Amino acid sequence: MFLSRRDYLKAQAAAAAAAAAGISLPASAANILTGEGAKLNWSKAPCRFCGTGCSVMVGVKDGRVVATHGDVKAEVNRGLNCVKGYFLSKIMYGEDRLNQPLLRMKDGKFDKDGEFEPITWDAAFDIMAQKWKETLKKKGPTAVGMFGSGQWTIYEGYAASKLMKAGLRSNNLDPNARHCMASAVAGFMRTFGMDEPMGCYDDMEQADAFVLWGSNMAEMHPILWTRVTDRRLSHPGCKVAVLSTFEHRSFDLADIGLVFTPGSDLAILNYIANHIIKTGRVNKEFVEKHCNFKRGRDDIGYGLRPDNPLEKKAKNADKANDSDPITFDEFAKFVEPYTLDKAHELSGVPKNRLEALAELYADPKVKVVSFWTMGFNQHVRGVWANNLVYNIHLLTGKISQPGSGPFSLTGQPSACGTAREVGTFSHRLPADMVVTNPEHRKHAEEIWKLPEGTIPDKVGYHAVQQDRMLKDGKLNAYWVMCNNNMQTAPNTAKETFPGYRNPENFVVVSDPYPTVTALAADLILPTAMWVEKEGGYGNAERRTQLWRQLVDAPDGARSDLWQIMQFSKRFQIEEVWPEELLNKKPELRGKTLYDVLFRNGQVDRFPLSDLDPNYNNFEAKEAGFYVQKGLFEEYAAFGRGHGHDLAPFEQYHQERGLRWPVVDGKETKWRYREGSDPYVKAGEGMRFYGNKDGKANVFALPYEPPAEAPDADYPFWLSTGRVIEHWHSGSMTMRVPELRKAFPNAVVFMHPDDAKELNVRRGQEVRVTSRRGEVRVRVETRGRNKPPRGLVFVPFFDQTVLINKVTLDATDPISKQTDYKKCAVKITPVNA
Amino acid sequence: MTIRSALLGLWRLFARPSVHFSLGFLTLGGFIAGVVFWGGFNTALEATNKEAFCISCHEMRDNPYEELKQTIHFTNRSGVRASCPDCHVPHQWTDKIARKMQASKEVWGKIFGTIDTREKFLDKRRELAEHEWARLKNNNSLECRNCHSADSMDITKQNPRAAKMHETYLFTGENTCIDCHKGIAHRLPDMHGVEPGWSMKTSAK
Amino acid sequence: MKTRFLIAALALLAGVPALTIGVATNGVAADKPAVSSGIVSSGTGTVGGIKVPSANHPITLDVPAEATHREITDDQKRVRNYADQPPLIPHAIRDYQIDLNINKCLTCHDRRNTAGSQAPMLSVTHFQDRDGQTLGTVAARRYFCTQCHVPQTDAQPIVPNSFQDFDSVLGHAQGGQK
Repeated sequence: MFLSRRDYLKAQAAAAAAAAAGISLPASAANILTGEGAKLNWSKAPCRFCGTGCSVMVGVKDGRVVATHGDVKAEVNRGLNCVKGYFLSKIMYGEDRLNQPLLRMKDGKFDKDGEFEPITWDAAFDIMAQKWKETLKKKGPTAVGMFGSGQWTIYEGYAASKLMKAGLRSNNLDPNARHCMASAVAGFMRTFGMDEPMGCYDDMEQADAFVLWGSNMAEMHPILWTRVTDRRLSHPGCKVAVLSTFEHRSFDLADIGLVFTPGSDLAILNYIANHIIKTGRVNKEFVEKHCNFKRGRDDIGYGLRPDNPLEKKAKNADKANDSDPITFDEFAKFVEPYTLDKAHELSGVPKNRLEALAELYADPKVKVVSFWTMGFNQHVRGVWANNLVYNIHLLTGKISQPGSGPFSLTGQPSACGTAREVGTFSHRLPADMVVTNPEHRKHAEEIWKLPEGTIPDKVGYHAVQQDRMLKDGKLNAYWVMCNNNMQTAPNTAKETFPGYRNPENFVVVSDPYPTVTALAADLILPTAMWVEKEGGYGNAERRTQLWRQLVDAPDGARSDLWQIMQFSKRFQIEEVWPEELLNKKPELRGKTLYDVLFRNGQVDRFPLSDLDPNYNNFEAKEAGFYVQKGLFEEYAAFGRGHGHDLAPFEQYHQERGLRWPVVDGKETKWRYREGSDPYVKAGEGMRFYGNKDGKANVFALPYEPPAEAPDADYPFWLSTGRVIEHWHSGSMTMRVPELRKAFPNAVVFMHPDDAKELNVRRGQEVRVTSRRGEVRVRVETRGRNKPPRGLVFVPFFDQTVLINKVTLDATDPISKQTDYKKCAVKITPVNA
Repeated sequence: MTIRSALLGLWRLFARPSVHFSLGFLTLGGFIAGVVFWGGFNTALEATNKEAFCISCHEMRDNPYEELKQTIHFTNRSGVRASCPDCHVPHQWTDKIARKMQASKEVWGKIFGTIDTREKFLDKRRELAEHEWARLKNNNSLECRNCHSADSMDITKQNPRAAKMHETYLFTGENTCIDCHKGIAHRLPDMHGVEPGWSMKTSAK
Repeated sequence: MKTRFLIAALALLAGVPALTIGVATNGVAADKPAVSSGIVSSGTGTVGGIKVPSANHPITLDVPAEATHREITDDQKRVRNYADQPPLIPHAIRDYQIDLNINKCLTCHDRRNTAGSQAPMLSVTHFQDRDGQTLGTVAARRYFCTQCHVPQTDAQPIVPNSFQDFDSVLGHAQGGQK
């Protein structure tokens, strides 16, 4: 209440006096505000955090966000948010918001060893353009690069992709989604020939069983967990199985909890396939009609640097993604050795639980949904794990039907919408196309109205490779946007930081806050965030959601989209393209990259009068046209008619998102299934049309051990991850006081018996040390995570506990995604 | 037959008056033997009252004991901790013997594998918990009170919420410790139908 | 006015290395509020601001772990930032079991139990299912309380947050919370 008792009495007295004098006071209740003054302007926006894609209502008063709540109209979350979502209102208001570009300088000039000093945006782009041009001249397009984000808006990712792949002609563009989704992508492409899940969240209200394969949904996808919880507690007979390398909050809902030895999930998956075959529960009709069988390459290495002994030893490191066709019988023979005994022996899981799990899949009456996130994806055999879980759904035909199917969850709000669908990976183009395919390049060049041969045909540097190339001095001009890779990349002290500080390199970091990545840069650009700009995200169930600019960014902060477009103005086409390319389209001569990429008659075709008058739009007003709408519609041309159809731009501003393909205004809930997916013709029943023959691939792939395992010197497994209160590196959530106070620092979760043996106890400071680096952190022996003996877990949100100094930069050799869940460490008490 | 005749022979020897030893020797010897026997019995009994004995069975070690490690009765500020027998073995001799005889059933369970998996333990958990709740209810939470004396509580040092509850339910004798503090040292079983202590009389009807 | 704000903002920035490094040059302990130390140490007034020589980047330092922060268990309600903010938990929840067997929170906060416990009852929204239908009991989707409600420790914010609630924005700062 904002009236004190004294004020209240005064008001009473005034009212009495006014009444006596016959004057009427303005209508209001005694101690609440009434009428227009009490109203907030409410608008929808998707949540800024995970890939669930909750819709949030944002309340604005006098140009500031003053409230947020879950959107009751949104199908995804129906009025709920998790604790982070409920505190979204505060993420933009950390007092160290950057509002001026900062350049390392000495004596008024750029100096790699200088100190950060504020400069103007003009000066910032000057020095950037100078460095980029020098690099291009000296070494060509392979020496410039960009590290983007699954948190970029669709427009930002798309503009960045155009700038890099067409404008600067470099495929060295990769998103941080490489660290989080790449194995899922490769898994989809290998099995179905087409990215992203076939099912949708509606499965959760219809399933009989849920299996979590390396996903702690209770903390990482809390709103989806409310839907699973709802089903488990209200549908009789519903069961939940949870697999992990340590016990966590999702086990609280588990009927079957399985804690397995790191890496042995591969053996469990093959055991289930074997169990299904051995007990005669293969859905033969489905398999004959819809499946091919393939034998993948084994012994494929660990994505380490080529001189690493593990890579030298690997037979098939250079052809990791190859495979040969086999028959069903050959497949059955391949999985035969994966008996219950063998699965038990490798995983350490009691046999009765393995059998109970296998039966959920094998029993034809049980509709089962499999979920997974980083347990599968951040795995040196992550693509295999994805393929193997598809195997068991395909063998039983439990796929893409309401209540049944495999579902790969995403960690970032637009890992699907931006990183995957727009194709901001070093090998991709929009709509699942790849740079190595001449047809695909040609198609993209046509849509972009560029001469043939503009887009380079060689795959660029992926995330981990970018860090290595920076360190090796082969990548020299580098722009990091919308992520905090100095905190989140693997083996940062040895492989990431040296590259940023390499005197040959110029590194630019765009961020709203001075993250550890920004502090390692040469130039920091202050960035507008979330509802300070118009944006669009795509969630894990193919749902595209757009939002308006609801408040203005702090003076001086600019969106990534604005930054990308402004930067493109600094290049004359002649400075970046060779003569023979220009000769193919001489009318482009004399133009800037901005003209070529964004004033191409498409991106600039919607006038400012198309803007919603109720909202500001900084980028559009600067450009003089409705840039977001133009980018969206040009981008949508890639997918329409090709299985990735998006609805018209304006429709998304009315709806709480739509799941693509959207054909004739109707979204698609279950892909590949007749009646639900408009791309499956009548009479086909089911068609995996991502592959030319319409069939999905069942892969024979073995169990192979992790890259590094505990030994006498480093006796513990280390797994890293998140906690519910913080999102990723904590650059936003750690600035919300309530969230910081709820989980103030990272701790190392360990078994009490391990602590006892090490002579440490809860709260004591220890060093967690690997062959690569170490951190100091306090011990936690109880609480939400209960590791088994021999394994420790450290979350990565805390910038005072940079646990990725410790992790190993081993990746899945196919997807190039890092394994953050398995490396070997030792633990020693501090002061001992 | 041979066993029977041997036993019979032994009895005859036992029943015949002594011809070699004096009465004094026999009385004294009997007393000493009694002391040794009694001491041995008690030592053995006491050995079974040690936590180490309890958790020598993996059923106990992997289930209730593993759970105990998470709780305030195991890790806390001052490091004073409860061990299994502190709560589960009565301190009075007669109660103790009664509990021991009951415990032989648990040994039976151990030998015949009634609870050889986590799942079987969980299935039995409500029944096992109910035994303990009933025992503590009947003895007015005696084993709790061995350490936690209501008379010695300084409620100004308690959280106001806890102080209020103790004033309302504990000091009035309306409830006993276990009514409200079920699950204080182990995970709870399925609690369907078990109302919390503070709501047993007060919940809206 | 604008320049003053700028200087203040940059002064704050100068505090960031101290915060991230944990061992600030002026010997401020890592668990002290970062910003106050930042303001003090940037007393030079240089608009140059952020001093991050590469040699002193946090990643290169042996950063001590912050001291453990104590839980706040004073049973005091905190003012909410806005009506829809889930209330924070002002008491200890150590070992509170919320699983298939029991939800410990509901033993006090459920409608049926509040007379005995004198705890605040769950808000009415918690009785609504996905379709907005009010049920006779708590909705299953609201079962896991800690997805939205969290306890607090006495940790200092890493930087202050200038969020203003409705009343503060309108200038009724008195009752509002910053």
